[in-house]
Amino acid sequence: MNCRSEALEVSVEGRQVDEAMLALLHTILLHRSTGKFHYKKEGTYSIGTVGTQDIDCDFIDFSFVRVSSDELDRAIRKAVGEFKDAMGNGMDGMGQISLEFYQKKKSRWPFSDECIPWEVWSIKVNVVNLANEQERQICREKVGEKLGEKVINIVEVINRHEYLPKMPTQSEVDNVFDTSLKDVQPYLYKITFQITDTLGTSVSTTMRRLIKDTLAL
Amino acid sequence: MAAHFDTEYQRLEASYSDSPPGEENLLVHIPDGNKSPWHHIENLDLFFQRVYNLHQKNGFTCMLLGEVFELVQLLFVVGFTVFLANCVDYDILFANKFVNHTDSSKVTLPDAFLPVDVCGASIRDNVAVMFVLMISGVFWLHRLIKFIYNVCCYWEIRSFYTNALKMSMAELPYFTWQEVQARIVEIQKEHQICIHKKELTELDIYHRILRFKNYMVAMVNKSLLPVRFRPPLLGESVFYTRGLKYNFELIFFWGPGSLFESEWSLKPQYKRGGNRLELADKLASRILWIGIANLLLCPVVLVWQILYAFFSYTEVIKREPGSLGARCWSLYGRCYLRHFNELDHELMSRLSKGYKASSRYMNCFLSPLLTVVAKNVAFFAGSLLAVLIALTIYDEDVLAVEHVLSSITLLGVCITVCRSFIPDKHLVYCPEQLLRLILAHIHYMPDHWQGNAHRYETRDQFSQLFQYKAVFILEELTSPLVTPFILIFSLRRKSLEIIDFFRNFTVEVVGVGDTCSFAQMDIRQHGHPAWMSEGKTEASIYQQAEDGKTELSLMHFAITNPQWQPPTETTHFISQLKERVQRETTGDRQTLTSLSGSEPRSLIANFLAGPPSLASLHLGRDGSLTDHGPVGVNDGASALRSLSVSSTRGSCSSAHRSAGHASSASRAMPGSSTDARTASSGSSVWEGQLTSLVLSEYASTEMSIHALYIHELHKQQSGGELSRHTWHRQDSDDSSDSVTEEGGSGGGNPNPRNLIPRSHTFPISTPISTPGPIPSSNSGPNPDRGTTPGQEVTPLQSNSQRRYGGNTDSVGPGGRVVRSARVPMGGWAEEGRGGRHPDTVPEEGSEDDMPPNTHKVT
Repeated sequence: MNCRSEALEVSVEGRQVDEAMLALLHTILLHRSTGKFHYKKEGTYSIGTVGTQDIDCDFIDFSFVRVSSDELDRAIRKAVGEFKDAMGNGMDGMGQISLEFYQKKKSRWPFSDECIPWEVWSIKVNVVNLANEQERQICREKVGEKLGEKVINIVEVINRHEYLPKMPTQSEVDNVFDTSLKDVQPYLYKITFQITDTLGTSVSTTMRRLIKDTLAL
Repeated sequence: MAAHFDTEYQRLEASYSDSPPGEENLLVHIPDGNKSPWHHIENLDLFFQRVYNLHQKNGFTCMLLGEVFELVQLLFVVGFTVFLANCVDYDILFANKFVNHTDSSKVTLPDAFLPVDVCGASIRDNVAVMFVLMISGVFWLHRLIKFIYNVCCYWEIRSFYTNALKMSMAELPYFTWQEVQARIVEIQKEHQICIHKKELTELDIYHRILRFKNYMVAMVNKSLLPVRFRPPLLGESVFYTRGLKYNFELIFFWGPGSLFESEWSLKPQYKRGGNRLELADKLASRILWIGIANLLLCPVVLVWQILYAFFSYTEVIKREPGSLGARCWSLYGRCYLRHFNELDHELMSRLSKGYKASSRYMNCFLSPLLTVVAKNVAFFAGSLLAVLIALTIYDEDVLAVEHVLSSITLLGVCITVCRSFIPDKHLVYCPEQLLRLILAHIHYMPDHWQGNAHRYETRDQFSQLFQYKAVFILEELTSPLVTPFILIFSLRRKSLEIIDFFRNFTVEVVGVGDTCSFAQMDIRQHGHPAWMSEGKTEASIYQQAEDGKTELSLMHFAITNPQWQPPTETTHFISQLKERVQRETTGDRQTLTSLSGSEPRSLIANFLAGPPSLASLHLGRDGSLTDHGPVGVNDGASALRSLSVSSTRGSCSSAHRSAGHASSASRAMPGSSTDARTASSGSSVWEGQLTSLVLSEYASTEMSIHALYIHELHKQQSGGELSRHTWHRQDSDDSSDSVTEEGGSGGGNPNPRNLIPRSHTFPISTPISTPGPIPSSNSGPNPDRGTTPGQEVTPLQSNSQRRYGGNTDSVGPGGRVVRSARVPMGGWAEEGRGGRHPDTVPEEGSEDDMPPNTHKVT
């Protein structure tokens, strides 16, 4: 609970799904990434640079800016691709993809490290079927506009002065940032998705909760 | 549109492009590091609960020890039972069989034990014993794992206390919860425990700790839970046991498939009204399954309950057989009496304070028939016992005669039981006053109790809240058998209502999650017009909390957490109420003072109510608080002094009690009046200590006064329940009629119980802002006490008469005068009364528009 949650909702055509998702996820990540940290001796550090690049969408009248890191892009594309596969191609449907920023907390021996989310972005997607080319044209522009609004939303939310994990010392940097990429350093994140049919908690989380609850009685 | 974005992004790009990937002249940052591990805690609910628990259990060591002993106790209970059942040769113990010893003829205890292999075999052969052993084994392992888990978790909390809150475990028992809470609020600024808000409020913490309890309280308040039954023969009874409660919580809050998906959020489908029927079906089938599971597990649970009860209570019963006749607050009572947002320790202290008065009240109702029987049984048993004891004293060999010892024991028990049925000769009981005294602590009671305190119905209903310990144990024992049926037949039928309840009364609060909306204590949303929130509430009947729960809870929370800053509207309500109460109690004190000289009897009557004495005490301290300075204190002191002197004549037990308070306070008063400038010194009058514990004491007194006041006002608003049957003072009935409608505007009263459509018969709509102390009358000479603020004298003394009018018989003439002065309102009175008390006519609406003196008689 102790985490902010932001919800976005878009309606797109089947083939626009991945571009729309990429646009939103990349926009969020652009603002949640920093350059690589270079730690120096006296506990200080300097921050490397972050490159950005414009991406034009093929199926939507829209371009967005993303961090120019191929590794990050690949990771996100992979997640979005899985999401799209799970949605099933071309059919009506609803799904939700969520981008969760978390930090790790080292715990004592009997427990594994906890991942505590501090911000969750959930993007709901409605897939619509369109009858003819004309509608597709309209949709192309409409979706572009909508995405533009969403991007502004995102920026507004991010500009609010709200909780962010504190800048870590060298030993703790892995608990806050994803340091596996070599050109940028986003906050630790996790992309998960749900398709409408399976909305609701998965079996494993239910089990975990059950055990925890019985223990906490 | 698009162009606009481009420009924004370009600027960002520009700032990046000029930073070279070089080394030296870069900006250098210093990490702030996560020095404290307490920022951003994942599960704040659990966290706060643990912080609270650790505080309540007096620190880590105490808790650890307690749990270890509990584990050991469990092992012992099971082991000892099995041992007694299988490994003891009772023939030897009862000397039916002789042991052939070579050296001596004495039978020793070890002789009675069976050899290890024999008893091991007998255990192995006995299926039932193995069954019990296995169940207990599983149970014990579960407890052990839980214990280890808890130790790890609480170790964390312990370091939170020591490192973040800077409280060592050794001194933890000497901090009040309010202090701990204040520190938590303090450190939130630094550590950001909760990331949603910069600052935590007290209410946030309470909400998190009490999230589910608030729901339960609200459900009991709205009579949603099936706990009242009408079994044949027994009449209306309440059945609410720990097992049942556990099952309710399992179904609603945390069990598999419950309504909540995590501790802090209701599942989204339950928040939408769309498929409520479907969800209700689902819930019903879930309840059915849980009921069936209960039925299947019933033997296991039953065995456990019996074992547990046997070992925890036999020793107690043996030690003091009277304890079964003692009473305790029932589980239902605790739910019914609990305020929203009231922590366990607050509730317990409040109920414990009411315990004495409550048991005295229950003792008023000894059946005369039983008394006669008990007296005689006690006589015969006593004579036998006396003879036996005398014989024993003469020669102790008597004890060796078979059954002499056991008969002595039995006779002793018998006499003890009988004695509990024989009332104390020297006590006089005044149920009405006792009930008021109880009300001052428990804060809730149904409307129809007032004025009917002496009746058996009232007593029976009160005993639902305050039951015999024996009944409690019996209910716990039968619970495993009854619970499945309640679940399957009663609760299942309510599934739709439950779904609706959770949908309608759940609000999402930022930084807290989903909570029960009643717990927000918002007068506008859930106020009840008959309970002071007339005109402020917009709640429909369905939304109104019953019994003034919202209003009283709000007052209680505001008083116990003075730092809390409620929303403006609520602040307004609170301050207005406080002001009113203060004014009324001032008046009351005036009355008391004025009466004390002239008519001791009336004084006692007035004083018996208990609350007035508290009220005047309160005033004494409050006067100093609100910067009336020493005057207020002196006032209170003088009032009290006069009271304490004359009230000692009272024979009523409650009078003694109150007098005790009063006199001690008045003794302390003069000394402290010199420095009676600050709140703390105000409290020091009370206990002579300057600790926050005293402040909380003060708070509880203040709350008592408010509760009484609100009830009193409610009583008047809903048409004045009469103290018609007060035994001692029949003539005082009139005075209780002289109740007034306060702020009688604002549309009909939707309370289904007392439908009093006031609006159309009452054109005078009184602005509530002028709290309507309506001078009804005053009897009595008013020995003008010089210390009184002059302008308050006339109006206030009179209305206090009315406030606690039901208890002052001196008001007799005054009350009658009021009656005659009243605007004739017969029509609505009958209508409103529903014929319950057709002959009583409630008081007129407001006399704010008339000068108070016009009503003054004599």
